[in-house]
Amino acid sequence: MSKKKSTFLNMILALFVITLVAGLSLGYVNDLTKGPIAKAKLERKVNALKEVLPDFDNNPVEDVRKIASDKTKDSIEIYTASLKNTVSGTAVIGSSEKGFSGLVKIMVGFKPNGTIKNIVVLEQKETPGLGTKMKDEKFIKQFREKDPSTFNLKATKDGGDVDALTGATITTRAFGEAAQMAYDVFVAHTEPQEKFKK
Amino acid sequence: MSDQTIVISASPHVHSDRTSKKLMYDVLIALIPAFLVSIYVFGLGALLITATAVISCLLFEYVIQKYLLKTEITITDGSALITGILLAFNLPSSLPIWMVVIGSFIAIGVAKLSFGGLGYNIFNPALVGRVFLLVSFPVQMTMWPTPVENNTTLADAVTGATPLGIIKEELLYGSTMTEISTKIPSTLNLLLGFTGGSVGEMSALALLLGGIFLIARKVITWHIPVVILVTMAIFIGVFWFIDPEHYANPLIHLLSGGAILGAFYMATDLVTSPMTKKGMVVFAVGIGIITVVIRLFGAYPEGVSFAILIMNAFVPLINTYFKPRRFGNKIKSKMI
Amino acid sequence: MSEKLNQKQNFLKGIIKDNPVFVMLLGMCPTLGVTSSAFNGLGMGVATLFVLLMSNIVVSLIKSQIPAKVRIPAFIIIIASFVTIVEMVLEAYLPVLFEQLGIFIPLIVVNCLILGRAEAFASKNNMVSSIIDALGMGTGFTIALTFLGAAREIFGSGSIFDLRFVSEDASTLILFILPPGAFIALAYLTVLFNRIATKTS
Repeated sequence: MSKKKSTFLNMILALFVITLVAGLSLGYVNDLTKGPIAKAKLERKVNALKEVLPDFDNNPVEDVRKIASDKTKDSIEIYTASLKNTVSGTAVIGSSEKGFSGLVKIMVGFKPNGTIKNIVVLEQKETPGLGTKMKDEKFIKQFREKDPSTFNLKATKDGGDVDALTGATITTRAFGEAAQMAYDVFVAHTEPQEKFKK
Repeated sequence: MSDQTIVISASPHVHSDRTSKKLMYDVLIALIPAFLVSIYVFGLGALLITATAVISCLLFEYVIQKYLLKTEITITDGSALITGILLAFNLPSSLPIWMVVIGSFIAIGVAKLSFGGLGYNIFNPALVGRVFLLVSFPVQMTMWPTPVENNTTLADAVTGATPLGIIKEELLYGSTMTEISTKIPSTLNLLLGFTGGSVGEMSALALLLGGIFLIARKVITWHIPVVILVTMAIFIGVFWFIDPEHYANPLIHLLSGGAILGAFYMATDLVTSPMTKKGMVVFAVGIGIITVVIRLFGAYPEGVSFAILIMNAFVPLINTYFKPRRFGNKIKSKMI
Repeated sequence: MSEKLNQKQNFLKGIIKDNPVFVMLLGMCPTLGVTSSAFNGLGMGVATLFVLLMSNIVVSLIKSQIPAKVRIPAFIIIIASFVTIVEMVLEAYLPVLFEQLGIFIPLIVVNCLILGRAEAFASKNNMVSSIIDALGMGTGFTIALTFLGAAREIFGSGSIFDLRFVSEDASTLILFILPPGAFIALAYLTVLFNRIATKTS
C-alpha cells in the first residue's frame, strides 16, 4: 500500500498512463454516442417543426432554404413541409430585436393558403412572469387560423388585432413584429401553389 | 443598560432617553400626511391595503416569536407597525389582499426575524417584502389604479402604468420626450400626488413634509435623503442635458416613483444604514447612482427599492471603513 | 459484524450526519443553479452520483500508483473523463435533460464534493468502502437537490415533477424559480434539515 515516490519519472508516467486511458475511453464513448447524438439533434428540430406545421412525410430540415435579410443579422430560415409530394405547410423563423431584453425569436408555421397554423417561441430573454407569458397557450391561441393579410399582427393599442400581454406591451410588439417578418418572408418567397420538387 | 460601561452591539446605538419605541412613533406621525393624501386619492383601497399589511405584520411577528422562536415578543416596539405601513406604501392599492399578506410574511418572517429580529436585520424588511412581491407578481405589482379625486369607492375602475413606466415603455418604442410629455401628469400633479403609483409614493409634497418633520425631530439626519436626491438629479441631469428628447428631466424623476419615499423613509432606516455621517454619504451616493442606472438602463422602470437593498448589503463594509468613534477612546467623554 | 455496521454508518453519514448540501455546503454551484424543478434536481443528483461513484472506484483502485505530488491533476483527469462520458450519454439518450441542465453538466467537474471525496476518502480507503461512501454521499446530494427542486417548483410553478396542481393563470411565487429563490429555499431547507437531524440524533 505504500505510495509511489514523487520522482520526476513516476509523476510523468502516472499522468501519462491516466491521460492515455482517459483519452482512449473517451474516444470509444464518443464513437458509441456519435450516431445517437446526431439523431437526437435532428429529432429536436423536427419536433419543433411538427408543432407548427400540418402533417408532413418529408424531412423539412433537409429542405431548408436560407434567405438573407436586411432586418436580421442571421439569414431567415424557411422550412417547407410536404405530404404526398404536395406542399402542406411552411415554417419560417422570424425574429425581432425590440423585445424588452432584446432578441425574440419565434417559428411561425403557415398553411399553404397563408393562415397561421401555430407559433412556437424559440428564443427569448423577457421578464419572467410578464413577457415570458408569450409562450402561454392563452396568448398563442389568438394567432391560430388567422390570415395575417386580414389579421393585423400589431397590438390593439397600436391599432392591430392582437390582445397585448398584461404589463408586457413591449414584448407583444416584438412578438408581432417577428410574426410579421415571418409572414413577409413567407409571402415573398413562397409561391401560393408551389409544387414540391425533389 | 445602566450596569454596562461599554456597550458592544449592532446598531442602533441607543444612548439617550429616546428609545427605539419613541423613534418609531415619530416616524408614524411623519407618515400621516402621505397616508391622508393616499386615502383621498385612492379611496378605501389604500386604507384596506395599509390595514392588512399592518395587522398581518404584527400577527406574523407575534406568532413566529411565540410559537416558533419562543423568544420575547416585541410587537409593541412599533417596528413591525412601521414595517407594515411602509410595505403598504410601496404596494399598488389594487393589489389582491392575499398578496399583501404574503409580502408581510416575507418582510417579517424572512427579512427580519430570520436574521435575529430588530437590530440584526441586514436588509430593510418592508423593501424585501415589496421586492419579493414585485418579482413574484410582476403583473399585479405594476398595474396601478389611476387616481380619482375624492375617491370613496373600494373598486378601482381604471388601471394604468406609472409615469416612470410610461416614460420607459414609450422611450423603448422610440417616442421622444415631447410626445411623451402629453401622456404623463404635469409636474404640479406629481408634486401634489394625483398620479398613478403605489399607496404612499405619489404625493411628493406630503412625503417631504413628513421628512422635514423627521429631520427636525432628529430622528434622521439630512445626509442620506439629500445626498440621494442630489446624486440622482446630477446623474440624470447629465443625460438630460445631452439629449433631452430621450431622457426625462431630473424633476420628473425626483418627483415620480418612490424616490422621495425611499430617500426619506426607507434608506434612513436606522438598522440598515451606516453609523457615521461619512458612511451615510457613501451609502446615499450609491443608492442614487444605482437607482438611476436601473431607471435608465435596467429592465424595471423603478429602481429605488433595489438600489436601497443593494446598498444595505454594503453597510457592514461601509461601517468598517468609516468606523464610528469607539467608546473609551476619548478619556474626557462621559461614561454611559 | 462490526465491519458491516461500520459500512451502514459509512452509507448513512452521507445522507444525514455529513449531508453534502445541508451540512457540508459542498457543490453549491449545481445546487443553486439547476434546482428550478424537482426533475432537474433529481437529474443533476443522479448524474453527480454516477460521476462520484466511478471516480471513487477508480481513485481507490489506483491510489497506490499515484505519486502524492500529482494526485490532484490525476483526480481531475479521472473526474473530467467521467463527466464527459455522462455529458455524451445524456446528449444521446436523454436530450431533454441535457438541454435543461446545460452548462451545469460540464461543471460537475468542479463540484468540490467529487474532488473532496476522492481526496478525503477514496485515496485513503479500499474500494468497497469507497463505493459505499460514494453511494451515501451521492444519495444525500440527490435527495437534497430533489427536495430543493421540489420546494422551488411547488412555490414557483405550482407543480411537482411537472404535474400542475394550480391553473395556468394562477399567480405563483415565481421568485422561487429565479436565482434569489434558490438562496432563500436553500437557507430554509438547511435550517429545517438540521433541526430535524439534531432532534432525532
